[in-house]
Amino acid sequence: MAMASRFWASKAASYLKISTFNRAFASVVKDLRYADSHEWAKIDGNSATIGITDHAQDHLGDVVYVELPEVGVAVTQGSSFGAVESVKATSDINSPVSGKVVEVNQELSSSPGLVNGSPYEEGWIIKVELSNTNEVKSLMDSDQYSKFCEEEDNH
Amino acid sequence: MIAAVDFCLSSPIPSWTILSHSDRRTSWRAAVSPIISAESNSLFQQSSRRRCLFYDMHKEVIPFAEAWSWQKSVVEERKTLIDSNEDGLDALIALQHQPVYTLGTASSENNLNFDIKNPPFPLYQTERGGEVTYHGPGQLVMYPIMNLRYQKMDLHWYLRALEEVVIRVLFSTFGLTASRVEGLTGVWVGDKKLAAIGIRVSRWLTYHGLALNVSTDLSPFKEIVPCGIRDRGVGSIKELLIGYDGDDGKLIDIAHDSLVKEFCQVFQVELCHQPISMLNH
Repeated sequence: MAMASRFWASKAASYLKISTFNRAFASVVKDLRYADSHEWAKIDGNSATIGITDHAQDHLGDVVYVELPEVGVAVTQGSSFGAVESVKATSDINSPVSGKVVEVNQELSSSPGLVNGSPYEEGWIIKVELSNTNEVKSLMDSDQYSKFCEEEDNH
Repeated sequence: MIAAVDFCLSSPIPSWTILSHSDRRTSWRAAVSPIISAESNSLFQQSSRRRCLFYDMHKEVIPFAEAWSWQKSVVEERKTLIDSNEDGLDALIALQHQPVYTLGTASSENNLNFDIKNPPFPLYQTERGGEVTYHGPGQLVMYPIMNLRYQKMDLHWYLRALEEVVIRVLFSTFGLTASRVEGLTGVWVGDKKLAAIGIRVSRWLTYHGLALNVSTDLSPFKEIVPCGIRDRGVGSIKELLIGYDGDDGKLIDIAHDSLVKEFCQVFQVELCHQPISMLNH
């Protein structure tokens, strides 16, 4: 019985493009690219939507504040563009790609918890116009990122 | 096996320790500074602990802006090293501040009982987490700049570890039983907070840190809702020591020595005194 439900759960999961039964129990979405500082990027032609991963929000705890950049500023791969605060610790959010910020998620000013509740959807943080699409190749895919998280958690 | 020692700063024996694997990646500048052993009374050298640069200004009252600028430049320097796959050593700055109020990233003006444009003391909006707090003479402030890759890459662990340092100091040196309150980072004796904690993390490098009220004048805390907590108060070691009428300076020294010792224990580091001029380069 447990085997059957696991089978259906994994079929459903692969349809929804989320991987389950991850030891860390944090979800990782296929088709996104990931940075080793736990940000994700959804690439769509020349633009990218960026947020932090489920693994990151889980480790942070309740996000009480998100520091957003101004629209129009430049971001550089690997450099900080904003910050998230949770229980007395504020940490940098680094951009997985370089480019120009074209939109920020203003909802996060009043509802920073969206980062926890919906890290890949409503909790998106910025949208960027890419300056160098080649950079995407240096990011991890979902399988590589899952493995990376496992290794980091066992550190 | 750990030998029990008294941490003694008065007669340091400079010595060289064998660099551990993680130390080999440190910059040349850090490698040439002498080590002051935590066990200056014994021949046994602990070479397994990571070295940590120590800027000890605990008897001095430093303007907030200056110390803030030191921290930021140390962090920037380390990030540059990390970019080229090296790293500097961790650092600890210990000092007292001139009277100042500081805000964290999410701080609300509602927690100020004064007009933000006309504060009774200088007010700084910083990049650390946490709400408004006060720093002033009589309060020991510690700013550890640690790369959590060498500790645990877990912010909650780090906050709990900072609390642990203070809890141990209060108990072992002052016989005070302190505790944590879930959801309210800091160190409490009863319903009074003795130590406030607020940090910033950038690429796993932490800065800002903790502030412990030793003999602080607590009246400036009345002008704020400290850390945004309305139904609890703020305390100090001095007011909890019944019958203590000794010198404040002596109390600060005793608390400082204990903080340093417990810091080394909790974070498993060996402190290495640096001249303050190194921060101003």
